[in-house]
Amino acid sequence: MLIDIEALFRGDALLKALEASALATRIRDSVFLFPMIESTHVIGLALVVGTIAIIDLRLLGIASTHRSFQRMASDILRWTWGAFALTALTGSLMFITNASVYYHNFYFRTKMLLLALTGINMLFFELTAGRTIHQWDQAPSAPRTGKAVAALSLAMWIGIICVGRLIGFTTSRSAVAPPPPAGVSFDDFLQGTPPDSGGNQPTPSPHK
Amino acid sequence: MVKQFAEWLSTTSPSVFIQNHNGWVIPTIQSIHIIGIAAVFGSVFMIYLRILGWAGMDQTLRQTTSRFGPWLTGGLWLMLATGLLMVLGEPVRELVTFSFWLKMFLVAVSTVIATFFLVAVGRHDQQWEEKLVKRRSIQGLAILTFLIWLCIIILGRLIAYDHIWGPWSPATKA
Repeated sequence: MLIDIEALFRGDALLKALEASALATRIRDSVFLFPMIESTHVIGLALVVGTIAIIDLRLLGIASTHRSFQRMASDILRWTWGAFALTALTGSLMFITNASVYYHNFYFRTKMLLLALTGINMLFFELTAGRTIHQWDQAPSAPRTGKAVAALSLAMWIGIICVGRLIGFTTSRSAVAPPPPAGVSFDDFLQGTPPDSGGNQPTPSPHK
Repeated sequence: MVKQFAEWLSTTSPSVFIQNHNGWVIPTIQSIHIIGIAAVFGSVFMIYLRILGWAGMDQTLRQTTSRFGPWLTGGLWLMLATGLLMVLGEPVRELVTFSFWLKMFLVAVSTVIATFFLVAVGRHDQQWEEKLVKRRSIQGLAILTFLIWLCIIILGRLIAYDHIWGPWSPATKA
């Protein structure tokens, strides 16, 4: 068989295939592509977090309290989504250049988990306070559930920034022997590479 | 000379403290610096969208600048503070680069333009509201300064990759 199905299920064949792809090779071989992709990622994330914070502060009753929430949301969130698409695209491009290292990185996994939680948080908002917007659209702040969602959102996005920065300190594009493949199960989801295990860490190099 | 200053700075006690705790101090400072970028860039972005008429049209220009101006200024102070700590913690990595100094130059230019703009809108808001904001030259200047902010973010990240400047980078001569 050409494709080792079992390995594909474990994920490592897929990770290796991503790393070996022409696009990943092209990015690795270029002196300036990776830094430019990373910079674009920062631009995108600044807009994502900046615009989400504007909405969250409105929900909390801290800023923009005199504006219609509905109006603000429709005005701003499309830019948020555009910026999010930019960060997802640039994030994926960085991921494929060193897929197996990122995949097993503790901070990368934590970041993905937090991103999923912000999505769930947003869905929760839509199903609760989001259904009664007409009642509080002009009020200075959202009802209690809306405030809770906003506070959680701000906390998680700050967390995402912090763990995102730590990925750069704990991965290196130089050859790092990937740790033994971890089976994809929820049990070891957050135990991929313990942050201070040392064993598989690259030798200390100037961080990026 | 910059290199000697950077090397001297790295021997001072606050710098040595950061170096000895760099495992968590530097990532923490950098993360706060990025949160500052989100505050500053998010704020200027909303002001640009209002000038260009792409968002916030239910608000006057004055309402927009008084909503986001303080976050812009506050964010810039936060970035100055965390930026100084980053320089203190890793003087050679930061100061002995081309990216850093070009970035500082552009930061100075942008900050001066932003300050003039905020003061001008505060003083002559009628004039801005009715005429100036609709003027092609003002909108063009807005786009130009927005591009400068983009360059600042890119240059900030390029401090870590200063070798891409080749002979322009003092880091490659070391």
